Amino acid sequence: MSFNINSFTDALKSAFLYAPVTLKLTVITFVVAIILGTVIATVRHYRVPVLSQILAVFVTVYMGLPMMVALLLYNLLFMTFYNDVAGALHISVPISDVNPIYIGFFALILGTSCSLSEAVRGAFRGIDKTQYEAGYSIGLTRFQTLIRVIFPQMVPILLPGLQNSLIGLLKASNLVSAIAVTEIMTGALLPSLLYYSYLESYLAAALVYWIIGALIEVLAHFAEKNSGRYLSRAIA
Amino acid sequence: MGSYFSAERFINVFPKIIACLSVNFHIVFWSMLLGTILAIFVAVLRLKEIPVVKQILSVYISFMRGTPLLVQMMIAFYGIPLVLGELFMGLFGINLNRIEPAVFVEIAIILNEGAFLGEIFRGAITSVPAIQTEAGYSIGMTGAQTFFRIVLLQAFKVALPHYGVDFVGVFQNTSLVFTLGVVDVLGKAKTLGAATGHTLEGYIAATIIYISFSLLLKGSFLLVEKRLIGGRAYVV
Repeated sequence: MSFNINSFTDALKSAFLYAPVTLKLTVITFVVAIILGTVIATVRHYRVPVLSQILAVFVTVYMGLPMMVALLLYNLLFMTFYNDVAGALHISVPISDVNPIYIGFFALILGTSCSLSEAVRGAFRGIDKTQYEAGYSIGLTRFQTLIRVIFPQMVPILLPGLQNSLIGLLKASNLVSAIAVTEIMTGALLPSLLYYSYLESYLAAALVYWIIGALIEVLAHFAEKNSGRYLSRAIA
Repeated sequence: MGSYFSAERFINVFPKIIACLSVNFHIVFWSMLLGTILAIFVAVLRLKEIPVVKQILSVYISFMRGTPLLVQMMIAFYGIPLVLGELFMGLFGINLNRIEPAVFVEIAIILNEGAFLGEIFRGAITSVPAIQTEAGYSIGMTGAQTFFRIVLLQAFKVALPHYGVDFVGVFQNTSLVFTLGVVDVLGKAKTLGAATGHTLEGYIAATIIYISFSLLLKGSFLLVEKRLIGGRAYVV
Protein backbone atom coordinates (compact mmCIF):
# COMPACT_ATOMS: atom_id res chain seq x y z
CA MET A 1 0.00 0.00 0.00
CA SER A 2 1.44 3.33 -1.00
CA PHE A 3 0.18 6.79 -1.76
CA ASN A 4 -1.66 6.90 -5.09
CA ILE A 5 -2.10 10.31 -6.63
CA ASN A 6 -4.93 9.17 -8.91
CA SER A 7 -7.05 7.93 -6.02
CA PHE A 8 -6.34 11.22 -4.29
CA THR A 9 -7.68 13.31 -7.17
CA ASP A 10 -10.68 10.98 -7.53
CA ALA A 11 -11.42 11.40 -3.83
CA LEU A 12 -10.92 15.16 -4.09
CA LYS A 13 -13.47 15.41 -6.92
CA SER A 14 -15.92 13.27 -5.01
CA ALA A 15 -15.39 15.34 -1.86
CA PHE A 16 -16.02 18.61 -3.68
CA LEU A 17 -19.20 17.10 -5.10
CA TYR A 18 -20.53 16.66 -1.57
CA ALA A 19 -19.19 19.97 -0.22
CA PRO A 20 -22.64 21.60 -0.67
CA VAL A 21 -24.11 19.14 1.86
CA THR A 22 -21.57 20.21 4.48
CA LEU A 23 -22.02 23.88 3.60
CA LYS A 24 -25.79 23.54 3.86
CA LEU A 25 -25.47 21.84 7.24
CA THR A 26 -23.05 24.50 8.47
CA VAL A 27 -24.77 27.63 7.19
CA ILE A 28 -28.38 26.75 8.00
CA THR A 29 -27.42 25.48 11.45
CA PHE A 30 -25.37 28.59 12.08
CA VAL A 31 -28.15 31.02 11.13
CA VAL A 32 -30.83 29.18 13.11
CA ALA A 33 -28.49 28.72 16.09
CA ILE A 34 -27.61 32.42 16.20
CA ILE A 35 -31.29 33.31 16.36
CA LEU A 36 -32.10 30.62 18.94
CA GLY A 37 -28.97 31.38 20.93
CA THR A 38 -29.82 35.07 21.04
CA VAL A 39 -33.35 34.28 22.21
CA ILE A 40 -32.02 31.99 24.96
CA ALA A 41 -29.42 34.57 26.03
CA THR A 42 -31.98 37.38 26.05
CA VAL A 43 -34.40 35.37 28.16
CA ARG A 44 -31.61 34.60 30.60
CA HIS A 45 -30.28 38.17 30.57
CA TYR A 46 -33.68 39.66 31.46
CA ARG A 47 -34.19 36.88 34.05
CA VAL A 48 -37.65 35.93 32.78
CA PRO A 49 -39.06 33.91 35.68
CA VAL A 50 -39.27 30.09 35.36
CA LEU A 51 -38.19 30.13 31.69
CA SER A 52 -34.74 31.50 32.43
CA GLN A 53 -34.15 28.94 35.20
CA ILE A 54 -35.24 26.10 32.94
CA LEU A 55 -32.98 27.34 30.15
CA ALA A 56 -30.06 27.79 32.54
CA VAL A 57 -30.30 24.17 33.68
CA PHE A 58 -30.84 22.93 30.14
CA VAL A 59 -27.88 24.81 28.67
CA THR A 60 -25.55 23.74 31.48
CA VAL A 61 -26.53 20.10 31.19
CA TYR A 62 -26.61 20.04 27.42
CA MET A 63 -23.15 21.55 27.15
CA GLY A 64 -21.91 18.40 28.88
CA LEU A 65 -23.19 16.19 26.10
CA PRO A 66 -20.78 15.46 23.24
CA MET A 67 -22.23 16.04 19.79
CA MET A 68 -21.51 12.49 18.72
CA VAL A 69 -23.48 10.97 21.60
CA ALA A 70 -26.37 13.35 20.94
CA LEU A 71 -26.42 12.46 17.24
CA LEU A 72 -26.42 8.72 17.86
CA LEU A 73 -29.09 9.05 20.55
CA TYR A 74 -31.43 11.15 18.39
CA ASN A 75 -30.85 8.86 15.45
CA LEU A 76 -31.78 5.85 17.55
CA LEU A 77 -34.85 7.57 19.03
CA PHE A 78 -35.90 8.55 15.53
CA MET A 79 -35.49 5.00 14.22
CA THR A 80 -37.37 3.55 17.16
CA PHE A 81 -40.30 5.91 17.38
CA TYR A 82 -40.76 7.20 13.85
CA ASN A 83 -43.30 4.56 12.86
CA ASP A 84 -45.47 5.11 15.96
CA VAL A 85 -45.44 8.89 15.65
CA ALA A 86 -45.96 8.87 11.90
CA GLY A 87 -48.81 6.42 12.36
CA ALA A 88 -50.46 8.60 14.99
CA LEU A 89 -50.14 11.69 12.76
CA HIS A 90 -51.20 9.82 9.61
CA ILE A 91 -47.96 10.57 7.79
CA SER A 92 -47.54 8.05 5.02
CA VAL A 93 -43.84 8.69 4.26
CA PRO A 94 -41.94 5.48 5.05
CA ILE A 95 -38.91 5.80 7.32
CA SER A 96 -36.54 4.89 4.49
CA ASP A 97 -37.61 8.04 2.61
CA VAL A 98 -36.77 10.40 5.44
CA ASN A 99 -33.37 11.98 4.91
CA PRO A 100 -31.21 11.47 8.03
CA ILE A 101 -29.79 14.96 7.45
CA TYR A 102 -32.75 16.32 9.44
CA ILE A 103 -31.54 14.48 12.53
CA GLY A 104 -28.15 16.05 11.88
CA PHE A 105 -29.75 19.47 11.66
CA PHE A 106 -31.64 18.89 14.90
CA ALA A 107 -28.60 17.79 16.90
CA LEU A 108 -26.29 20.45 15.47
CA ILE A 109 -28.80 23.27 15.97
CA LEU A 110 -29.52 22.28 19.56
CA GLY A 111 -25.86 21.95 20.50
CA THR A 112 -24.72 25.11 18.70
CA SER A 113 -27.61 27.18 20.08
CA CYS A 114 -26.52 26.31 23.59
CA SER A 115 -22.88 27.24 23.03
CA LEU A 116 -23.76 30.41 21.10
CA SER A 117 -26.21 31.49 23.81
CA GLU A 118 -23.28 31.53 26.24
CA ALA A 119 -21.31 33.72 23.83
CA VAL A 120 -24.23 36.12 23.42
CA ARG A 121 -24.65 36.28 27.18
CA GLY A 122 -20.99 37.26 27.44
CA ALA A 123 -21.58 40.00 24.85
CA PHE A 124 -24.57 41.29 26.86
CA ARG A 125 -22.21 41.79 29.79
CA GLY A 126 -19.93 43.85 27.56
CA ILE A 127 -22.60 46.51 27.04
CA ASP A 128 -22.81 49.35 29.46
CA LYS A 129 -25.99 49.98 31.46
CA THR A 130 -26.05 53.57 30.20
CA GLN A 131 -26.82 52.29 26.70
CA TYR A 132 -30.17 50.91 27.91
CA GLU A 133 -30.88 54.11 29.77
CA ALA A 134 -30.05 56.15 26.68
CA GLY A 135 -32.55 54.10 24.70
CA TYR A 136 -35.30 54.47 27.33
CA SER A 137 -34.60 58.19 27.74
CA ILE A 138 -35.52 58.93 24.14
CA GLY A 139 -38.74 56.95 24.52
CA LEU A 140 -37.80 53.62 22.93
CA THR A 141 -39.59 50.59 24.31
CA ARG A 142 -37.62 47.72 25.83
CA PHE A 143 -37.83 45.72 22.61
CA GLN A 144 -36.83 48.67 20.43
CA THR A 145 -33.85 49.43 22.67
CA LEU A 146 -32.75 45.82 22.38
CA ILE A 147 -33.04 45.68 18.59
CA ARG A 148 -31.81 49.16 17.70
CA VAL A 149 -29.28 49.96 20.42
CA ILE A 150 -28.03 46.83 22.14
CA PHE A 151 -27.81 44.17 19.41
CA PRO A 152 -25.88 46.33 16.90
CA GLN A 153 -23.28 47.07 19.55
CA MET A 154 -22.97 43.38 20.40
CA VAL A 155 -21.96 42.43 16.85
CA PRO A 156 -18.32 43.59 17.04
CA ILE A 157 -17.92 41.96 20.45
CA LEU A 158 -19.32 38.70 19.13
CA LEU A 159 -17.57 38.47 15.77
CA PRO A 160 -14.18 37.00 16.80
CA GLY A 161 -15.96 34.30 18.81
CA LEU A 162 -18.45 33.65 16.03
CA GLN A 163 -15.62 32.91 13.62
CA ASN A 164 -14.40 30.18 15.94
CA SER A 165 -17.92 28.83 16.36
CA LEU A 166 -18.45 28.74 12.61
CA ILE A 167 -15.24 26.79 12.03
CA GLY A 168 -16.14 24.56 14.98
CA LEU A 169 -19.53 23.97 13.42
CA LEU A 170 -17.94 23.16 10.06
CA LYS A 171 -15.90 20.51 11.84
CA ALA A 172 -18.81 19.28 13.94
CA SER A 173 -20.92 18.83 10.80
CA ASN A 174 -18.41 16.11 9.93
CA LEU A 175 -19.93 13.96 12.69
CA VAL A 176 -23.18 13.45 10.78
CA SER A 177 -21.22 10.90 8.79
CA ALA A 178 -21.95 8.60 11.75
CA ILE A 179 -25.68 8.63 10.95
CA ALA A 180 -25.25 7.82 7.25
CA VAL A 181 -25.42 11.33 5.80
CA THR A 182 -23.05 11.65 2.86
CA GLU A 183 -20.98 14.80 3.41
CA ILE A 184 -17.40 15.75 2.54
CA MET A 185 -15.69 12.93 4.45
CA THR A 186 -18.01 10.11 3.40
CA GLY A 187 -18.10 11.61 -0.09
CA ALA A 188 -14.31 11.45 -0.27
CA LEU A 189 -14.47 7.84 0.91
CA LEU A 190 -16.72 6.70 -1.95
CA PRO A 191 -13.85 6.00 -4.43
CA SER A 192 -11.90 4.20 -1.71
CA LEU A 193 -14.67 1.62 -1.47
CA LEU A 194 -13.35 0.35 -4.81
CA TYR A 195 -9.60 0.73 -4.30
CA TYR A 196 -9.15 0.61 -0.50
CA SER A 197 -7.32 3.95 -0.77
CA TYR A 198 -8.44 5.24 2.62
CA LEU A 199 -5.48 7.48 3.37
CA GLU A 200 -5.84 9.33 0.06
CA SER A 201 -9.56 9.81 0.71
CA TYR A 202 -9.11 11.17 4.22
CA LEU A 203 -6.34 13.50 3.06
CA ALA A 204 -8.63 14.76 0.28
CA ALA A 205 -11.41 15.35 2.82
CA ALA A 206 -8.97 17.20 5.07
CA LEU A 207 -7.89 19.40 2.16
CA VAL A 208 -11.48 20.35 1.31
CA TYR A 209 -12.26 21.17 4.96
CA TRP A 210 -9.07 23.16 5.17
CA ILE A 211 -9.98 25.22 2.10
CA ILE A 212 -13.47 25.98 3.43
CA GLY A 213 -12.03 26.82 6.85
CA ALA A 214 -9.51 29.21 5.27
CA LEU A 215 -12.32 30.89 3.30
CA ILE A 216 -14.30 31.37 6.51
CA GLU A 217 -11.24 32.93 8.14
CA VAL A 218 -10.84 35.38 5.25
CA LEU A 219 -14.54 36.29 5.34
CA ALA A 220 -14.48 36.72 9.11
CA HIS A 221 -11.44 38.97 8.88
CA PHE A 222 -13.32 41.12 6.36
CA ALA A 223 -16.44 41.22 8.55
CA GLU A 224 -14.41 42.10 11.63
CA LYS A 225 -12.81 45.04 9.86
CA ASN A 226 -16.18 46.30 8.68
CA SER A 227 -17.93 45.97 12.02
CA GLY A 228 -15.00 47.74 13.67
CA ARG A 229 -15.70 50.71 11.42
CA TYR A 230 -19.22 51.00 12.76
CA LEU A 231 -17.96 50.65 16.32
CA SER A 232 -15.51 53.52 15.99
CA ARG A 233 -18.27 55.65 14.52
CA ALA A 234 -20.54 54.79 17.45
CA ILE A 235 -17.94 55.76 19.97
CA ALA A 236 -16.88 59.01 18.23
CA MET B 1 -42.01 3.37 25.92
CA GLY B 2 -42.62 -0.05 27.44
CA SER B 3 -40.84 -2.56 25.26
CA TYR B 4 -38.21 -0.12 24.04
CA PHE B 5 -36.83 0.85 27.40
CA SER B 6 -36.64 -1.26 30.52
CA ALA B 7 -35.17 -0.13 33.81
CA GLU B 8 -33.95 -3.64 34.47
CA ARG B 9 -31.86 -3.73 31.30
CA PHE B 10 -30.60 -0.24 32.09
CA ILE B 11 -29.38 -1.27 35.54
CA ASN B 12 -27.82 -4.35 34.02
CA VAL B 13 -25.99 -2.44 31.32
CA PHE B 14 -24.87 0.65 33.27
CA PRO B 15 -21.97 -0.87 35.26
CA LYS B 16 -20.59 -2.56 32.14
CA ILE B 17 -20.53 0.76 30.30
CA ILE B 18 -19.14 2.88 33.11
CA ALA B 19 -16.31 0.36 33.46
CA CYS B 20 -15.13 1.50 30.02
CA LEU B 21 -14.77 5.07 31.26
CA SER B 22 -11.19 4.16 32.20
CA VAL B 23 -10.44 3.88 28.46
CA ASN B 24 -11.66 7.44 27.93
CA PHE B 25 -9.67 8.78 30.86
CA HIS B 26 -6.59 6.88 29.71
CA ILE B 27 -6.84 8.68 26.38
CA VAL B 28 -7.58 12.02 28.05
CA PHE B 29 -4.65 11.65 30.46
CA TRP B 30 -1.97 10.83 27.90
CA SER B 31 -3.29 13.27 25.32
CA MET B 32 -3.46 16.14 27.78
CA LEU B 33 -0.07 15.38 29.37
CA LEU B 34 1.86 15.12 26.11
CA GLY B 35 -0.38 17.68 24.39
CA THR B 36 0.41 20.28 27.05
CA ILE B 37 4.15 19.69 26.72
CA LEU B 38 3.93 19.94 22.93
CA ALA B 39 1.81 23.07 23.26
CA ILE B 40 4.41 24.81 25.43
CA PHE B 41 7.04 24.10 22.77
CA VAL B 42 4.70 25.34 20.03
CA ALA B 43 3.89 28.52 21.96
CA VAL B 44 7.53 29.30 22.74
CA LEU B 45 8.66 28.61 19.17
CA ARG B 46 5.86 30.81 17.82
CA LEU B 47 6.90 33.63 20.13
CA LYS B 48 10.57 33.36 19.15
CA GLU B 49 9.61 33.92 15.49
CA ILE B 50 12.40 31.81 13.99
CA PRO B 51 12.10 32.28 10.18
CA VAL B 52 11.31 28.84 8.67
CA VAL B 53 9.88 27.34 11.87
CA LYS B 54 7.37 30.18 12.07
CA GLN B 55 5.86 29.38 8.67
CA ILE B 56 5.78 25.64 9.34
CA LEU B 57 4.02 26.20 12.65
CA SER B 58 1.40 28.50 11.18
CA VAL B 59 0.58 25.88 8.52
CA TYR B 60 0.42 23.22 11.25
CA ILE B 61 -1.90 25.29 13.40
CA SER B 62 -4.07 26.23 10.45
CA PHE B 63 -4.41 22.54 9.49
CA MET B 64 -5.27 21.44 13.01
CA ARG B 65 -7.82 24.22 13.42
CA GLY B 66 -9.32 23.83 9.95
CA THR B 67 -9.96 20.10 9.73
CA PRO B 68 -12.24 17.92 11.85
CA LEU B 69 -10.66 15.78 14.56
CA LEU B 70 -12.32 12.68 13.13
CA VAL B 71 -10.51 13.19 9.82
CA GLN B 72 -7.24 13.82 11.68
CA MET B 73 -7.70 10.57 13.60
CA MET B 74 -8.31 8.66 10.41
CA ILE B 75 -5.25 10.21 8.75
CA ALA B 76 -3.16 9.23 11.78
CA PHE B 77 -4.62 5.72 11.74
CA TYR B 78 -3.95 5.07 8.04
CA GLY B 79 -1.06 7.48 7.47
CA ILE B 80 1.36 6.74 10.32
CA PRO B 81 1.77 3.01 9.55
CA LEU B 82 2.26 3.89 5.88
CA VAL B 83 4.92 6.52 6.44
CA LEU B 84 6.73 5.15 9.49
CA GLY B 85 5.80 1.46 9.24
CA GLU B 86 9.01 0.21 7.60
CA LEU B 87 11.20 2.42 9.77
CA PHE B 88 9.68 1.02 12.99
CA MET B 89 9.79 -2.52 11.62
CA GLY B 90 13.50 -2.16 10.84
CA LEU B 91 14.56 -0.26 13.95
CA PHE B 92 12.45 -1.72 16.77
CA GLY B 93 10.80 -4.69 15.13
CA ILE B 94 7.36 -3.23 15.85
CA ASN B 95 4.61 -3.82 13.33
CA LEU B 96 2.63 -0.58 13.39
CA ASN B 97 -0.37 -2.26 11.78
CA ARG B 98 -0.76 -4.40 14.89
CA ILE B 99 -0.69 -1.51 17.37
CA GLU B 100 -3.91 -0.69 19.20
CA PRO B 101 -6.00 1.96 17.43
CA ALA B 102 -6.17 3.90 20.72
CA VAL B 103 -2.53 4.87 20.23
CA PHE B 104 -3.31 6.56 16.92
CA VAL B 105 -6.25 8.33 18.51
CA GLU B 106 -3.90 9.63 21.20
CA ILE B 107 -1.37 10.80 18.61
CA ALA B 108 -4.11 12.65 16.72
CA ILE B 109 -5.44 14.34 19.87
CA ILE B 110 -1.91 15.22 21.06
CA LEU B 111 -1.12 16.93 17.73
CA ASN B 112 -4.53 18.63 17.76
CA GLU B 113 -4.06 19.88 21.31
CA GLY B 114 -0.54 21.04 20.52
CA ALA B 115 -2.10 23.54 18.14
CA PHE B 116 -5.12 24.57 20.22
CA LEU B 117 -3.37 24.74 23.59
CA GLY B 118 -0.35 26.28 21.88
CA GLU B 119 -2.46 29.25 20.88
CA ILE B 120 -3.92 29.49 24.40
CA PHE B 121 -0.46 29.40 25.98
CA ARG B 122 0.91 31.90 23.49
CA GLY B 123 -1.76 34.39 24.50
CA ALA B 124 -1.13 33.66 28.18
CA ILE B 125 2.65 34.04 27.92
CA THR B 126 2.35 37.39 26.16
CA SER B 127 0.00 38.56 28.91
CA VAL B 128 2.73 38.18 31.56
CA PRO B 129 4.31 41.65 31.97
CA ALA B 130 7.87 42.08 30.71
CA ILE B 131 9.02 43.32 34.13
CA GLN B 132 8.59 39.76 35.40
CA THR B 133 11.28 38.57 32.98
CA GLU B 134 13.46 41.52 33.92
CA ALA B 135 13.00 40.70 37.59
CA GLY B 136 14.24 37.17 36.87
CA TYR B 137 17.31 38.43 35.01
CA SER B 138 18.06 40.98 37.73
CA ILE B 139 18.61 38.28 40.33
CA GLY B 140 20.89 36.38 37.96
CA MET B 141 18.56 33.70 36.55
CA THR B 142 19.27 32.36 33.07
CA GLY B 143 16.72 32.71 30.27
CA ALA B 144 15.38 29.16 30.71
CA GLN B 145 15.18 29.52 34.50
CA THR B 146 13.27 32.78 34.20
CA PHE B 147 10.90 31.25 31.71
CA PHE B 148 10.14 28.05 33.61
CA ARG B 149 10.20 29.41 37.17
CA ILE B 150 8.60 32.82 36.68
CA VAL B 151 6.88 33.44 33.35
CA LEU B 152 5.37 30.01 32.67
CA LEU B 153 3.82 29.65 36.12
CA GLN B 154 2.09 33.01 35.85
CA ALA B 155 1.03 32.22 32.30
CA PHE B 156 -0.60 28.99 33.54
CA LYS B 157 -2.80 31.03 35.81
CA VAL B 158 -3.99 33.18 32.92
CA ALA B 159 -4.48 30.16 30.68
CA LEU B 160 -6.33 28.07 33.26
CA PRO B 161 -9.95 29.01 32.36
CA HIS B 162 -9.32 28.23 28.69
CA TYR B 163 -7.35 25.15 29.64
CA GLY B 164 -10.32 23.86 31.63
CA VAL B 165 -12.72 24.37 28.73
CA ASP B 166 -10.26 22.64 26.43
CA PHE B 167 -9.83 19.75 28.85
CA VAL B 168 -13.59 19.13 28.97
CA GLY B 169 -13.59 19.41 25.18
CA VAL B 170 -10.98 16.66 24.91
CA PHE B 171 -13.02 14.46 27.23
CA GLN B 172 -16.06 14.98 25.02
CA ASN B 173 -13.97 14.37 21.89
CA THR B 174 -13.08 10.91 23.16
CA SER B 175 -16.61 9.98 22.10
CA LEU B 176 -15.24 9.84 18.54
CA VAL B 177 -12.82 7.00 19.20
CA PHE B 178 -15.41 4.26 18.68
CA THR B 179 -15.18 4.98 14.94
CA LEU B 180 -11.70 3.41 15.02
CA GLY B 181 -12.94 0.41 16.97
CA VAL B 182 -11.75 1.46 20.42
CA VAL B 183 -14.19 0.14 23.01
CA ASP B 184 -14.81 3.25 25.11
CA VAL B 185 -18.08 4.30 26.78
CA LEU B 186 -19.89 4.88 23.52
CA GLY B 187 -18.21 1.94 21.81
CA LYS B 188 -19.32 -0.37 24.63
CA ALA B 189 -22.87 0.99 24.42
CA LYS B 190 -22.83 0.22 20.71
CA THR B 191 -21.42 -3.30 21.03
CA LEU B 192 -23.79 -4.18 23.87
CA GLY B 193 -26.63 -2.84 21.74
CA ALA B 194 -25.57 -4.96 18.80
CA ALA B 195 -25.27 -8.04 21.03
CA THR B 196 -28.63 -7.69 22.81
CA GLY B 197 -30.69 -5.79 20.24
CA HIS B 198 -31.53 -3.11 22.83
CA THR B 199 -29.39 -0.07 22.13
CA LEU B 200 -31.45 2.65 23.80
CA GLU B 201 -30.48 1.76 27.38
CA GLY B 202 -26.79 1.77 26.50
CA TYR B 203 -26.98 5.14 24.77
CA ILE B 204 -28.88 6.69 27.65
CA ALA B 205 -26.28 5.32 30.05
CA ALA B 206 -23.52 6.82 27.87
CA THR B 207 -25.38 10.13 27.78
CA ILE B 208 -25.67 10.25 31.57
CA ILE B 209 -22.00 9.31 32.01
CA TYR B 210 -20.76 11.94 29.57
CA ILE B 211 -22.93 14.72 30.99
CA SER B 212 -22.11 14.00 34.62
CA PHE B 213 -18.36 13.65 34.11
CA SER B 214 -18.21 16.74 31.88
CA LEU B 215 -19.95 18.77 34.57
CA LEU B 216 -17.71 17.24 37.24
CA LEU B 217 -14.55 18.19 35.32
CA LYS B 218 -15.92 21.65 34.63
CA GLY B 219 -16.79 22.14 38.30
CA SER B 220 -13.38 21.02 39.52
CA PHE B 221 -11.64 23.40 37.13
CA LEU B 222 -13.82 26.24 38.42
CA LEU B 223 -12.81 25.36 41.97
CA VAL B 224 -9.11 25.38 41.12
CA GLU B 225 -9.56 28.67 39.27
CA LYS B 226 -11.22 30.30 42.26
CA ARG B 227 -8.35 29.27 44.50
CA LEU B 228 -5.71 30.58 42.13
CA ILE B 229 -7.48 33.86 41.45
CA GLY B 230 -7.62 34.37 45.19
CA GLY B 231 -3.82 34.20 45.23
CA ARG B 232 -3.48 36.53 42.32
CA ALA B 233 -4.80 39.64 44.01
CA TYR B 234 -1.52 40.51 45.68
CA VAL B 235 0.69 39.33 42.86
CA VAL B 236 -0.63 42.24 40.80
